[in-house]
Amino acid sequence: MGKTTYKRLKGSQSFRQRLLLATLSSTPIIIDEIRADDMITGLLRHEMSLLRLFESVSDDCVVEVNETGTRLKYKPGIIMGGKNLVHSCALTRSMGYYLEPLLVLGLFGKKPLSIRLKGVTDDPKDLSVDTVRNATLHILKRFGVPSEGLDLKIEARGVAPEGGGEVLLTVPNVQSLTAVQWVEEGMVKKIRGWTFSARVSSDFEHSMRFAARGVFNNLLPDVHIFNDHKSGPHAGKSPGYGISLVAETTAGCYISADTAVSCGRADETGEIDVERQERKPAEDTGVEIASWLLQEIEKGGVVDSTHQGLLFILCALCQQDVSKVRVGTLSPYGVETLRNLKEFLGVTFSFRPDPSTGTVILTCVGSGLINLSRKLS
Amino acid sequence: MAADDLMSSQKSHRTRKSGPTMRKKSEIDKKKRGVADNKQPNPRAFSVRSVVKAKRLKIRAVEKEQRRIHLPTADRTYGEPPPFVVVVQGPPGVGKSLVIKSLVKHFTHQNVPEVRGPITIVQGKKKRIQFVECPNDINGMIDCAKVADLAILLIDGSYGFEMETFEFLNIMQVHGFPKVMGVLTHLDKFKDVKKLRKTKQRLKHRFWTEIYNGAKLFYLSGLIHGKYSQREVLNLSRFISVIKFHPLSWRTSHPYVLADRLEDVTPPEKIQMDKKCDRNITLYGYLRGCNLKKGMKVHIAGVGDYSLAGVTALPDPCPLPSAAKKKGLRDREKLFYAPMSGIGDLLYDKDAVYININDHLVQYSKTDEVNGEPANKGRGKDVGEDLVKSLQNTKYSVDEKLEKTFINLFGKKTSASSERKLEEDAQSSPEGSDTESSEEFQSGDEVDDHEMDVDSNDGKIKEKTELRGGRLRRKAIFKDEDSDEDGDDDNDDEEAEDAESDGNEDEDEDGEDESVSDSQDSDEDDVEESEDKVLGNISKWKEPLKEKGRKKNPNLMQIVYGASASSATALINENNEISDDEDFFKPKGEHSKNLGGGLDAGHVNSEDCSKFVNYGNLKNWKEKEVCEDIRDRFTTGDWSKAALRNKNSVAGDEGEDDELYGDFEDLETGEKHNDHENMESGTNEDVEAAERRLKKLALRAKFDAQSDKSELEDDDNDNGDGINPRNSEAKEPGFVDKLKEELEIRKQMNLLELNDLDEDTRIEIEGYRTGTYLRLEIHNVPYEMVDFFDPCHPVLIGGIGFGEDSAGYMQARLKKHRWHKKVLKTRDPIIVSIGWRRYQTIPVYAIEDRNGRHRMLKYTPEHMHCLAMFWGPLVPPNTGFVAFQNLSTNQTGFRITATSVVLEYNHQTHIAKKIKLVGHPCKIKKNTAFIKDMFTSDLEIARFEGSSVRTVSGIRGQVKKAGKNMLDNNAQEGIARCTFEDQIKMSDIVFLRAWTPVEVPQFYNPLTTALQPRDKTWTGMKTFRELRSEHNIPIPVNKDSLYKPIERKTKKFNPLVIPKKLQAELPFASKPKNKPARKRPDLDARRAVVMEPEERKAHAIVQHYKLMSKVKINKKKAKEQEKRKAYEAEKAKKEVISKKRNREERRERYRTEDKQKKKMRRGQD
Repeated sequence: MGKTTYKRLKGSQSFRQRLLLATLSSTPIIIDEIRADDMITGLLRHEMSLLRLFESVSDDCVVEVNETGTRLKYKPGIIMGGKNLVHSCALTRSMGYYLEPLLVLGLFGKKPLSIRLKGVTDDPKDLSVDTVRNATLHILKRFGVPSEGLDLKIEARGVAPEGGGEVLLTVPNVQSLTAVQWVEEGMVKKIRGWTFSARVSSDFEHSMRFAARGVFNNLLPDVHIFNDHKSGPHAGKSPGYGISLVAETTAGCYISADTAVSCGRADETGEIDVERQERKPAEDTGVEIASWLLQEIEKGGVVDSTHQGLLFILCALCQQDVSKVRVGTLSPYGVETLRNLKEFLGVTFSFRPDPSTGTVILTCVGSGLINLSRKLS
Repeated sequence: MAADDLMSSQKSHRTRKSGPTMRKKSEIDKKKRGVADNKQPNPRAFSVRSVVKAKRLKIRAVEKEQRRIHLPTADRTYGEPPPFVVVVQGPPGVGKSLVIKSLVKHFTHQNVPEVRGPITIVQGKKKRIQFVECPNDINGMIDCAKVADLAILLIDGSYGFEMETFEFLNIMQVHGFPKVMGVLTHLDKFKDVKKLRKTKQRLKHRFWTEIYNGAKLFYLSGLIHGKYSQREVLNLSRFISVIKFHPLSWRTSHPYVLADRLEDVTPPEKIQMDKKCDRNITLYGYLRGCNLKKGMKVHIAGVGDYSLAGVTALPDPCPLPSAAKKKGLRDREKLFYAPMSGIGDLLYDKDAVYININDHLVQYSKTDEVNGEPANKGRGKDVGEDLVKSLQNTKYSVDEKLEKTFINLFGKKTSASSERKLEEDAQSSPEGSDTESSEEFQSGDEVDDHEMDVDSNDGKIKEKTELRGGRLRRKAIFKDEDSDEDGDDDNDDEEAEDAESDGNEDEDEDGEDESVSDSQDSDEDDVEESEDKVLGNISKWKEPLKEKGRKKNPNLMQIVYGASASSATALINENNEISDDEDFFKPKGEHSKNLGGGLDAGHVNSEDCSKFVNYGNLKNWKEKEVCEDIRDRFTTGDWSKAALRNKNSVAGDEGEDDELYGDFEDLETGEKHNDHENMESGTNEDVEAAERRLKKLALRAKFDAQSDKSELEDDDNDNGDGINPRNSEAKEPGFVDKLKEELEIRKQMNLLELNDLDEDTRIEIEGYRTGTYLRLEIHNVPYEMVDFFDPCHPVLIGGIGFGEDSAGYMQARLKKHRWHKKVLKTRDPIIVSIGWRRYQTIPVYAIEDRNGRHRMLKYTPEHMHCLAMFWGPLVPPNTGFVAFQNLSTNQTGFRITATSVVLEYNHQTHIAKKIKLVGHPCKIKKNTAFIKDMFTSDLEIARFEGSSVRTVSGIRGQVKKAGKNMLDNNAQEGIARCTFEDQIKMSDIVFLRAWTPVEVPQFYNPLTTALQPRDKTWTGMKTFRELRSEHNIPIPVNKDSLYKPIERKTKKFNPLVIPKKLQAELPFASKPKNKPARKRPDLDARRAVVMEPEERKAHAIVQHYKLMSKVKINKKKAKEQEKRKAYEAEKAKKEVISKKRNREERRERYRTEDKQKKKMRRGQD
């Protein structure tokens, strides 16, 4: 026991979850061959930033990265949480990338977490902060997280190349999570949306809203899309706009879809200019996201495919009771999550496909993780 | 019976005519007769007199009630409960083993020759008990306290309490207090009944103060023919059986196994090569606490942390009787299992299993031998018996048998030919086989294969139990044991075989009787012949299993977790993978390659992105037809269809529900939807399952008919929207009741879900359930564990939770035990028992100041809690621990030094201690002074800039800067410039008070008591004191710290000298007047005072008056004194008289009393 034995992993895949689960289960890990054969070897900027975020939230964790960045040694510390933390995220990924693990991590801290994240708030790859605020937090509440102290405040927007956004996340700490029986999807009773525009004309928002609402016309009257036009210092450093739609069902499920479009000029970061060669009109974006939301609804399940991973993690972290959830088709990310959960927490899910609806019902027994770092009063 | 006859001659029972029960009866009687008894002595006595008082009383009552309430804990043990551990503890020579023996005898009618290791018995229809004798060594006591469900504390009544009892109680209290029962023994040593009664009373009350008022203390009055009397043992057993065990928080969150068997399964070649090589061992025992998942790390108490190389569930060696309705236990169901104590005539040595058969116990075979054929006819059908007989008939040693290899050991049926052959041989060469009682199991198979074998045996259990019917129960157990042991015993014997140089392989007889009927080993002979064949068998074995696995899960599970996840064959591979961390990633990678596209992301560097979007194949949702597909997912759509959709999946496999759906389709109106929903979720559960649940719930006393309904509703809500909908209605039945109900519902739901799964998947998901008999394989254990294994000491294997295997700083609230005579010193190593572990660590004691600072303490406070920081493997907060300084058994006094509870853990400590930097001025300039000796470098000064300093006399100041530049350039380093509120003197001492962090040493040393002879005392790091006394080093003394008598010289002041120039300028009044010294006093002093005549007169008169009053007063005083004297004399006289009278009176009274007494005595005589 004197020597720490490291769990050995390979590759950069599901980096966030590995770090998260390693921290929660206090398993030291070594990740080898991170993009060893790629053009850009080693850890990317956002991954380094994530590591730094983990360092700032926890106490005494040891991170060692070799020169090329292809090998990471991570020994988790104690999750501290705390107030007035500030982290500037790397601009290669948006805030959703950091928020997903941070939400879970914050729950198991010594003190309630309150952290200010700076960087890109929305991009097409990750959850937009609007979605996190309006859908993801609701999922957490299902698992017995108290709603007071659980909040995400968007203070400034910032889109891709330059960022400049700012959000304030507060997460309470819990003793343990309670298992859920969450199989009823219910019917969509209302759809809410949030559009934003930063450093561009609010016309983009209007056309998106209009287009998106048009899609729902056949289905539901209760559609309301809020707009959030930012200018000045609250608008970040790059121009862009985006939309996030959340459908709420009668059973209290939140199904979301979102995207963001950056109108920023293609600059040094090579990836972005490839993607943004031709920009669609804003109406198309609106229609696309609205259709995507409907597609998610069609798939069924109590969460959308994006949130599957989070849902599974929460299920696995519950007390040693049976959790039962229904999801639509398993997303690759969800499957990866399931594997990671088995690896780190030893939680195996059982699956019962439901062919009539095309959904899957997953059952698991929680790992019984309790918040060990909380002080005994 | 003769006793009965005697009983009948005794006088009949007299019913009681007084006492509370009779009073009650008479009241009832009165009521029956209709006699109204509403005469209250004082009806106003209990009415409210004072509102305040009534209020207070009410508050008190409510408080009392609240204090009684405990937060209900979730019970997550779903399976058959494991046997309860009853630890019998007591100081040496108090009769521990005898109590166990007599209890076992009482429960099973079996004699236990020797109590070694746990003894499991079936005590009732639903209850099993495991007796463990607590060794007299403190390590054993600690381990026992950690597993005990009930502790029976034996106390030598003739001697009184001994320290061991209290130590054990304290250990238990710290590790969660299990139930405790005291038993007084050696009461036959009292000759005087009165003294006995008083002793009992005294001991009982002492016992109560230690536990609680009314704790059960049992008396065993004495030995009859070297045994306790049957009646008392019966009573004791009843007390044991009615005790209810409550869950303890540490244990319910950690799985643990109290091993009742240990086998060394190291390949014999390895041991032959190196006797001190690391061993592979298997441990057997019931799983307790909570579920054990595969891949969990465990701690073996006294050895260390290990990961489990393999876990196998074995058939229960001591199963509970079938659930058939009957009263009491059949004789054959009174099973017991004690592999280490040689009970059931099985004796487990380190590398062999011996069977003892007492001749008089083996009745039927004897008769067989006598009767020959006829008996055979009677019972001939029983295959097992046949085999046994054939075995008993053989007169060969095992070796010989092996050579000839004609015994079909494990065949399902002995072939007639072999039997015949046996008989022939028996006749031809009669050799005494009775003496040869040691059999050894043998086979060439490897451990893993045995696991399979064991599994395979499952099918045969029934047959065995049938077999059990016709014969002695003891044997039945034995067979049971065999069935799960044969796997690894083989390996033991492999060693044995290797050890023996002769190449003969010993055939095992596997117990003379029934185990012969064990299935697999018809190939046993083949094993010897050729290894290849065995392998063939194995592969055959695996085939059906593989198929089984495939059949079970042709589903997502395989896709997600890889094909091997749930099948039993893969289990072994998986375990291997876990054991070597190096390539544990491999299967996944391979798997991903195999699967290729689809769900799997493919290569290891895929992007970490939770969104999975391709907008390419979006449907055109603007079209109405497309929308129609999901119309029912919206509130605008068809509600009933939507409801149907939800239900569909849950009841997917159930046909009956489909009929129900039909009804729903008719209802289309939106308003009614609420009812639908409720109804829908009501029928949500499978009908059968719901029924089951209801039945279970109905059994619960808590749930009467009324609450049952509400529970159902709750259930529905739960399915609906997870978050507690019950909080609102929590008021009426009480919060705690609601909580309890919620937990119960949770449990039932869990059960429902888990029972739906097939066995393999369930184990995969849930882990092994508590109560399963497990075989744990552990690799690379130090050889000492096997060498020094002592069955009398409990082997405790405890599961380690997340993060509990990493070390860190822990902060604990610690209190020195009040019976430990000395206070504890910071940095003196202590031995703690915390969680499953025992280790030595170095604590630093501290106390929290008012400002939240943790100030280091050199010694623990005497009667107060203090904080202790120490380094060690982390445990969750709220875990208690107990500290020792010395573990030796021959220590007088109380060994427990402190008890404590962990508050939190940290990766750093924040303890500070006071530091006083002392310096001297080297140069003083008005209020500024340069201080030397305080700091060693300018850098250090920079650290302390601005901090306050002080002189001894109380002049305050501040550190300014390093004073290098101010002084001449070649001044030494570390001189600080300080300013003071006044000028200081060169003789002043300046000091700076500061706080410095204290490091807690990163030291912990696990106790490896199982790796050394048990009678040896474990020695770890020594304390300073021990080292000093060992090496004869005196305690270092700082001379400055010694107290010396204070010598203060009287200060001599020089005369004040005023300079002449100043004198000249002073005003005259202030000028010193230089008067020359005189020889004669001056005029003022010398002159006489003469009074005037009037003055003289007045003076004389005053003097007269004064004289007169003085005389008067004197006279008065004299008079008073006389008076007092007279009064005192009178008083003394009176006193003498009254004393006399009193004495006389008393004497008279006594005399009469004595007379009366004598009279009475005479009258009685």
